[in-house]
Amino acid sequence: MTGKDALEPRPREGKIASPLPQSTGRIVAAALLVSVAYYAGANVGFVFRFPPATPSILWPPNAILTATLLLSPVPRWWIYLLAALPAHLVAELGVPLPAPLVLALFATNCSEALVAAICVRYLSDAPARFDTLRRVAVFVGGAVLVAPFVSSFMDAAAVAALRGESYWIVWRTRFFSNALTELILVPAIVTVATARSSWVRGMSIRRRVEAAILALGFLTVGMVVVFAGPADSVSNIPGAPHTTRTLLLPFILWAAVRFGPGGTSLSLLATVLLAIWADTRGHGPFGTLPLTESVAALQIVLSVVAIPLICLAAVIEERRQANEVVAERLRFEELLTGLSSTFVHLHGHEVETAFEVSLRRLGEALALDRLTLYRISRDADEFLIGYSWSGPGVEPVPRATVSADFPWIMRQILREQPVAVVRPEELPAEAALDAETLRRRGIRSNLAIPLVAGGRLLGALAFVTLGAERAWPDDLVQRLRLVGEVFANALAQKEAEDALRASELMKSAILASLPSEIAVLDREGRIIAVNNGWQRSARENGGAPEAGVGVGASYLDIWRRAVGTGVPHAGAALAGIEAVLGRSETGFALEYPCAGSDVERWVALSVVPLNRPEGGAVVSHTDVSERKLAELEAQHSRQELAHFTRVSTMGELAASLAHELNQPLTGILSNAQAAQRFLEATPPDLGEVRDILTDIVDDDKRAAEVIQRLRYLLKKDEAQFLWIDLNVLIRDVVKLLSSDAVIRNVTVRLELDPRPVMVSGDGVQLRQVILNLLLNAMEAMAECAENDRIIVVRTETSEVEAVHVSVRDAGTGLGQDTHQLVFEPFYTTKPAGMGMGLAIAKSIIEAHGGVIWADSSTRGATFHFALPAPDERPV
Amino acid sequence: MIEGAATVVVVDDDLSVRRGLSRLLRSAGYGVETYSSAREFLDSGNYGRASCLVLDVRMPGQNGLDLHEVLTAAGHDTPVIFITGHGDITMAVRAMKAGAADFLAKPFDDTTFLKAVQQAIARVRVGEPPSASPDP
Repeated sequence: MTGKDALEPRPREGKIASPLPQSTGRIVAAALLVSVAYYAGANVGFVFRFPPATPSILWPPNAILTATLLLSPVPRWWIYLLAALPAHLVAELGVPLPAPLVLALFATNCSEALVAAICVRYLSDAPARFDTLRRVAVFVGGAVLVAPFVSSFMDAAAVAALRGESYWIVWRTRFFSNALTELILVPAIVTVATARSSWVRGMSIRRRVEAAILALGFLTVGMVVVFAGPADSVSNIPGAPHTTRTLLLPFILWAAVRFGPGGTSLSLLATVLLAIWADTRGHGPFGTLPLTESVAALQIVLSVVAIPLICLAAVIEERRQANEVVAERLRFEELLTGLSSTFVHLHGHEVETAFEVSLRRLGEALALDRLTLYRISRDADEFLIGYSWSGPGVEPVPRATVSADFPWIMRQILREQPVAVVRPEELPAEAALDAETLRRRGIRSNLAIPLVAGGRLLGALAFVTLGAERAWPDDLVQRLRLVGEVFANALAQKEAEDALRASELMKSAILASLPSEIAVLDREGRIIAVNNGWQRSARENGGAPEAGVGVGASYLDIWRRAVGTGVPHAGAALAGIEAVLGRSETGFALEYPCAGSDVERWVALSVVPLNRPEGGAVVSHTDVSERKLAELEAQHSRQELAHFTRVSTMGELAASLAHELNQPLTGILSNAQAAQRFLEATPPDLGEVRDILTDIVDDDKRAAEVIQRLRYLLKKDEAQFLWIDLNVLIRDVVKLLSSDAVIRNVTVRLELDPRPVMVSGDGVQLRQVILNLLLNAMEAMAECAENDRIIVVRTETSEVEAVHVSVRDAGTGLGQDTHQLVFEPFYTTKPAGMGMGLAIAKSIIEAHGGVIWADSSTRGATFHFALPAPDERPV
Repeated sequence: MIEGAATVVVVDDDLSVRRGLSRLLRSAGYGVETYSSAREFLDSGNYGRASCLVLDVRMPGQNGLDLHEVLTAAGHDTPVIFITGHGDITMAVRAMKAGAADFLAKPFDDTTFLKAVQQAIARVRVGEPPSASPDP
């Protein structure tokens, strides 16, 4: 037997299996069949009726009726009994019996069948099966003994009353003949009717061969029995069997041992037929006796032999089935263990194959047509086909929406409940859509099992049969849930692995796609991984000190060597990297020019600690040459522009500067000429001349200072960052503008911090900022009353490590929303203005790491700027 | 040639200019008073004695032109010479229209300056326009 046989669908226990058709047409056909069988059976019986006795020695009609009632539901019994009536009447027509007796005999026949059927039906757990001792015992007791026993009283009474035959002889003849026919016919009929073609089809080749040999042997021996002549010829051998007929016994035993009660029953039937045939030819076992006596003796012998044989067959069958259940459990356990171990050690793509293979094995073991593993969608509102197996010649599972086709089943699965459907009609009313889909797809039986792992629903397994109906006993469902657990765990593991792999793929893809050169360091600064960029750079720049190194090299050593060879930034880089590796810093960045190549190249070094217990860091080198060059370019352009605006500002200031220079020049000229006059006088007034010379020297110095201040503004040098006192710078610019202030009638009031306000910056550029802010303030007050034209310049060192300078005017203030706009290039409200002054100031302050802003009120606008204060004031 | 008691007032915000002009005027024999601003001059109340006023045009506070207008309005017709660091034609025209005796752009030669002062004083004394420049 194969596993397939073990799990072959069977009618459910405890319920009437109804191999008889359900539809009206088929019921009619069945009734006709019963009628014909009854008629045929009756005619067979007549053959074995030996007048003057009314009862036949072999009376199949009653057994046919009993078998029919056992196979059909109670409510239809009357149909089949009624169907037998015409057959009975027609059959008895040929026999000269009084009409009342014919009817009475029909009644007793029916009563026998009814008593037999009722007894078996209410005492047996499976009336149509004879595969356990209990079932056979119930059958033998009810159908073979009680029913003929009881009905024969009535039959004998009727026959005795109407025909005057001996009551007890009639009773005895009928009882034994009917008991024998019930015993050998009913199991044979029921077995053939319920098993039908599948009984043969389900057999393995070996069993078929065995059955064929059995049948052949039986027939051969049967022929010998029939044609071997009278039993007497062998009876004189001492201890030898009385008759050649006993040679059939081994075959009956063979059938009993190997082919169950059905086979036994069939072989007994054959034996009886052979025996009776032989008897009628005069070769009976008890050849010396009159025929009736001989037949009665045969009946008794057969009954005595047949009952234990059938019981034996039942016991063997029961044992075989028990073994089969155990074996089947074992096979299932093996299957389960196999599936579990299959998934334990699998990785990646192997899992896919393992799912396919496992589904196939399971599907074949369960004799399914289709087995599909569904996975639940991410938002748990749909099931998607994950893997599917279809049996040979079965269409693959249709790609359809489960939620639309099986809404009810899906709801059950979402509640983690398995759904077993033997046939679509069994589904409840609310599952009408599901039932419809099952019918449309030709699905007969269906079992859906939720796949749950770690408390999470991952999908479902759908077991499907198309043609054959399939029961889902609870223990099978329980075992398949175990299978479901194996699949669910494998699914969960696969999902976790997929997620991990996807994440790693993404990480490495990101790493690979970065243009920077990236290396991962361990705690000691050894390189443990690099990206494509690093490898590329290592290939291309073999000579560069910080490139050309792969996994395993010490990154720190490279910088140590660089320090040794006097690379300017190497010390800072080494200290920074060590600080990050030692976890005293949470990051380090440095931009440095890269030596050793013709074109100037700038590299941005960034070191970030690795967030893991073992420590380490990620180092990246990014080529920032372009940005750096652009920055330098921009800085250069800004300086050019600043210079240009300074020059043009000077142009605007030319008149007042002329005045500024004219004052000392006027003083010098008039003093010098006065001195000439004093020297020409007699006596020359030398004291006056001496005073004059002192004044001339002072005036000259004054003129030189003006020139110097101009120079400061017009210098066109590279930016030079020095320590500067902003107070000094502001005083300087205010002096430069003093004549302009006089011309414009503007008073500049200084409210400077008494301490030096030190910043690190470029004097020329910062002068320009202050000059622009002052000019802007002066111009803002052009329309004011002259008395109100006051500019206040304040400096202070604030608490937040910054110096703060403000220039307040008393003009009309700034319009709303223009506080930012005023710093935009070419933004101007003045007819002659170029709109660059404040924009230049902004760019200079930002280049110094500071901020510039404006606020305003009705009393005028104030422009502020703040620059970072040095950590330590230079002495 | 000494004009005796003629006093010239110089109003200029620049000290060295005041001292230089003061010395030139003294070397030519004039009496000199100097003031650093219009306010200081007005406050001194000495404008009645001056034979000639030398006023800087651009000064912090009240400028030279305004001062001249104030004096004219007050009925003082003392001749005025404006000096300025800005050779500004608009201002020169305004000054001359207001009755200024002369308008000099800084820096200027001593002879030019002293001649202008002398002519301004002479015009007032003679009551007619100056015809010739005295030899200083």
